[in-house]
Amino acid sequence: MPDLAISTRGLRKTYRTRRGRTVVAVQGLDLDVPVGGVHGFLGPNGSGKTTSIRMLLGLIRADAGTMTVFDRPVPARLPEVVGRVGAIVESPKFFPAFSGRKNLELLAAAIGAPKQRVTEVLEQTSLGERGKDRFKGYSLGMKQRLAIAATLLKDPDLLIFDEPTNGLDPAGIREIRETMRGLGDQGKTVLVSSHILAEVEQVADTVSIIGHGRLLASGTVAEVIGGGTTTTVKIGVADREAATRVLTAAGLVVRADGNYLLVDGVEHPAELTKRLADQQLYVNELVPIRADLESVFLELTAGEGLA
Amino acid sequence: MIRLTGVELRRLTARRITMIGVAGVVLITAFLLFVTWREARPLSEAEQRQSQTQFEMAHRDWVQNHEANEASCRQEYDQMTGSKPPIDEMCSYPEPKASEWGKPQAVFAELIPNILQGASYFLLFAAFLIGASFVAAEFSSGAIGNWLTFEPRRMRVYASKIVAAGLWFVPLGLLITGVLTLGAYLITAQLGSTAGTDWSDVVGSLSRVVTTTAMGAVLGAVVGVLLRHTAAAIGLVMGYIVLVEGVFGSFLQQAQPWLLVRNFDAFVLHDTKYFLNKCSTDASGNYNCETIEKTLTFEHGAWYLGILTLLAVVVAGAIFQRRDVN
Repeated sequence: MPDLAISTRGLRKTYRTRRGRTVVAVQGLDLDVPVGGVHGFLGPNGSGKTTSIRMLLGLIRADAGTMTVFDRPVPARLPEVVGRVGAIVESPKFFPAFSGRKNLELLAAAIGAPKQRVTEVLEQTSLGERGKDRFKGYSLGMKQRLAIAATLLKDPDLLIFDEPTNGLDPAGIREIRETMRGLGDQGKTVLVSSHILAEVEQVADTVSIIGHGRLLASGTVAEVIGGGTTTTVKIGVADREAATRVLTAAGLVVRADGNYLLVDGVEHPAELTKRLADQQLYVNELVPIRADLESVFLELTAGEGLA
Repeated sequence: MIRLTGVELRRLTARRITMIGVAGVVLITAFLLFVTWREARPLSEAEQRQSQTQFEMAHRDWVQNHEANEASCRQEYDQMTGSKPPIDEMCSYPEPKASEWGKPQAVFAELIPNILQGASYFLLFAAFLIGASFVAAEFSSGAIGNWLTFEPRRMRVYASKIVAAGLWFVPLGLLITGVLTLGAYLITAQLGSTAGTDWSDVVGSLSRVVTTTAMGAVLGAVVGVLLRHTAAAIGLVMGYIVLVEGVFGSFLQQAQPWLLVRNFDAFVLHDTKYFLNKCSTDASGNYNCETIEKTLTFEHGAWYLGILTLLAVVVAGAIFQRRDVN
């Protein structure tokens, strides 16, 4: 087993609503995040990503289960490793009336980092010139960059980004993505939670997909994509209407795509050609469409009634 | 812990609301000194003439009517039934003296307890508000969550905030009470009298005001932790003063030794007095009430405030340790 930056076993958290109803946010989550590289933590909204991250950071208490960060049980021994962990949970939260620099200076003073480090991380995140402006006047992208600057104050080995691109424009998204990839390439471990799959697929080395607070799939991106049991196939056939009737009768989902048909949920593409040929419908083109993280995600979460 | 406290002190100093609060305290201090000067300054010639005229009128009235008034009063007294006050107390018409119409001389030893008591109230209020806002803002902005990702040892985080709030107000309390004491001393030295000043008493009062100021900041921070919103903290204070100190205190007089403001006075003033109405029906069926003067001691006030503060700090700490942070 590779070295793990994060590991959870049987992690559980329930909330009680104001009306007294119990809501299970995380139920028995087993999560492993290997050391080094970018790990995507995927799941639909409300699947328990943020709750899991908050439990790892000691912000909320788990009802059951165990968690380790760099092999230290947390939250009991979190103080031993907190210096190696930088985190942004949901939206960046700082003192709104203080400048970005002042916010960072207070955090730096709390961990004993030199003042010079503040200037460095502000420069690193392109906030050098706006450091003296008040945090409440920052754009969302600048706030996000300041949050990243704060995590870098510690020069951490593990960075946790919870939905880091929420509300950002395309340029901001790209910037964050490049920052995460850069950190991963430096050998840092980056855990990025998101429900935007295309974004994670571009930077993640490994992923975990959760739904209803439970792990649905985990591994390298290639493994998770390959783990899908079905694929979508694009076929060209002269009589599309007749072909659609035949395939639908066989229990397949068929969609029109211009002069082609898209057939979802195909286990063995060769079976398609046989079924159609049996009805004197001959396929002139067949292209299996490569599965991507999104299709796997949708397939997995649909099984959980989440999609 | 020392480093965290230092950071919290820096944050408290950098907050705009802290500076606004300090400016308010300085303004009130200046106002108190102005009032002291007005009390101490001698009457103008016009005021003296007016005072003399009023005295002469009162004296003339006394010469003409005091015998008749006394006789009428004694007659009324004889006709009274039930318990009666002493006749000399009820029917005494002393001769007016010119000094009663003038302005009494301002004496430092008599003025300073009142000045420091006044200062203690506004310092306590300012410290409470600033302390509550200092901590509550961290919760309402969500910055506390970020802070805990840097220092997850919650007890240290909590203690640093409480200690910083209390510590920050010690020099401010010293400065304000020092300025007030010095100002009042200079004013009365010029315009009144500083005779009979017991400096150990003055220093004692001063240190008690500084203590209650720091305590106010600590309680404010504690309430900030519990309620997580400055407006809620202010609402709590107002609600407490109106409902508990006002309504409950006036209906249930026996509860007075356990009211916060009464104990606060007992501590700051080194003993305070309060009054109870004791009513009963005598043998002849008359319903009579008498007012009984009671003393609430300094020791009672000190224990009360000490235990209250300690209890609040411990309870809020336990809640902060366990509560989820969003």
